[in-house]
Amino acid sequence: MKLKQIAILSTVFFFTFSSCKKDTIDDKVFQVENVNLYSSASSKLKEKTESQWIAVVYTNLFQQALSASDIYRAGQCITSIGDKELAREVIISNFMNNTSPSPQIPSDIDMRSDIDKFVKDTYERFLIRRPTEGEKQYFRNEITNDPTRSAEIIYFSFALSNEYLFY
Amino acid sequence: MKRREFIKKATLTTAGAFVAPYILPSGRLFAPSGSQIAPHVVLVMYAGGIRNQETVDQLYLSQSQHTWNPIPALNVTGNIMPNMLTGAAPASKIVYGTGISGNTPIPPILSTSLQSQGVLFKEVNAVAPGHYGGSIGLLQGNTNLAQPLLDRPQTPTIFEFLRKHGGYKATDTWFLGNSLGNSVPLYNHSDDPDYGAKFGANMFIPGVTFGSQGDQFLKNAKVYHPQNELSPMYKMKYFLDNSYESLTQNNVLDVVGNTEAEKAKIKAFMKSMFLKKQAGAVLQPPVSGGDGTTIGYACEVMQEFNPALTVVKIDGPDTCHSNFTGYLRAIHQADHAVGFLWDYIQNQIPAMAGNTIIIATPDQGRNLNPNPILDTENNFRAFDHSDANTRRVFTLMAGKSITNHPDKATGPISSSSPLNTDAAITIGHILGIESEMLTSGYLHGNSQSLIRKL
Repeated sequence: MKLKQIAILSTVFFFTFSSCKKDTIDDKVFQVENVNLYSSASSKLKEKTESQWIAVVYTNLFQQALSASDIYRAGQCITSIGDKELAREVIISNFMNNTSPSPQIPSDIDMRSDIDKFVKDTYERFLIRRPTEGEKQYFRNEITNDPTRSAEIIYFSFALSNEYLFY
Repeated sequence: MKRREFIKKATLTTAGAFVAPYILPSGRLFAPSGSQIAPHVVLVMYAGGIRNQETVDQLYLSQSQHTWNPIPALNVTGNIMPNMLTGAAPASKIVYGTGISGNTPIPPILSTSLQSQGVLFKEVNAVAPGHYGGSIGLLQGNTNLAQPLLDRPQTPTIFEFLRKHGGYKATDTWFLGNSLGNSVPLYNHSDDPDYGAKFGANMFIPGVTFGSQGDQFLKNAKVYHPQNELSPMYKMKYFLDNSYESLTQNNVLDVVGNTEAEKAKIKAFMKSMFLKKQAGAVLQPPVSGGDGTTIGYACEVMQEFNPALTVVKIDGPDTCHSNFTGYLRAIHQADHAVGFLWDYIQNQIPAMAGNTIIIATPDQGRNLNPNPILDTENNFRAFDHSDANTRRVFTLMAGKSITNHPDKATGPISSSSPLNTDAAITIGHILGIESEMLTSGYLHGNSQSLIRKL
């Protein structure tokens, strides 16, 4: 009887303190503490402000932070345009054209040498979560079936996605 | 059984073939019920708070300064809006122009004033005093006293009425604003759940979009190949969006629903504007700056997109809180800019020439009595906006099918006076959705198209 109770308690303890442990990734920019990964996109319900989106997209693309005054000025650009999605698209295109600093994007050779790793890293970098099997398969097919598909264009699609607007 | 199935499918296919061509971009099944009076409308929100005394009454300094400082030199009347109104200019004490002390009026651009071409509603009731309430009232056709600043309009704007009920596409409706202040960037659509962003207008605040902020974050945008790069990018984005939206309710975002082709056209337009700016070739009235710059970009937008509705908001005259001389100059320069805009449409935009109606109306008036502030240049008294005189404004209309009429609504403001918010239903009438707007339940109870008052 006692053995059975111990077994049940052990099982409860195991699931309580091990299965709920969050996955984390390194914070490569600020290196203060690890970043907790979302278990699913469904837990992102709050919309980022224009300033938050600017700050995050710049950090994701350049692996460094944008100054507070530049975040404010870039946010004004979004505010000044009626179609916010178009405004974000033009800002990302502008960042992609930057030379000093340049956006930190894997080469296409690196992307194709380990597609699964690229897809996983891209989801973690932009969406702070791991891809589902279906998502992995989709991007694997995209990259494999089209030799012109570039890492830059894939990064662009993530930065412009609706999920990226939420946290 | 098979024969019956065949007949059923054949009937449905035939019906579909007839119906499909009438499904509009908005998802609406049929075209608007009304016919168009003109295919293009330009609404100039001649805003910032302007008194009828200095505009349509043509009293210049006599009832603004002479009343409070009765020296003969200030007892001057005259018209300082020669492009919009008919009347002789002031004969003395000229301070509203350019040059030293503003003593040189800007020569009119139009050989015949808009008043002489069309119709002036002289005493119009500004039903929603206050800049934000007054301005969005022009776009909503109603007032909403519970409307907070820095919140989207709570009821649909004319842009949304047009796009939802008229089937107009996003690039058919444009709003050009003069600043990011006073909630101006929120004018292009409401938060109404049945309308909202997806029926909103395209918008630029040119001083920012094409200003130093735009130079830094928009100008250098990379141009991607439409088929090889952009199309796959959108395809992958849509995959990510569908994946996310299947898990959450977060699928209503602040996008006005430009198609990919419309987006491409807007991006190309933005590129061309930055190049024109670099070359000093962006359109602008001969005397430019401030409101004139906004009007110049509005002309660029109209040249490129030939919109069904273009709304331009200007508000230089609001300097009147502390600078009456600056107020007079702003009214005069705004008149110059409106003259430039109308002349440009008639002579440089073939698709809109002879096919456009212009409506100009202020958001509100200003007080009858001055505040204690004197401007430094002429010791003129300044005026705020909160008393009954603030309700007195005008509406001027000219263009296709608007023949010249004697002034309308010339008596004092009364319950039967036209409303400045009638601008919205008038636009709806011109563009063919009058009945849809009147039955929407969103308009002011006394709303009536000004064309029906002619």
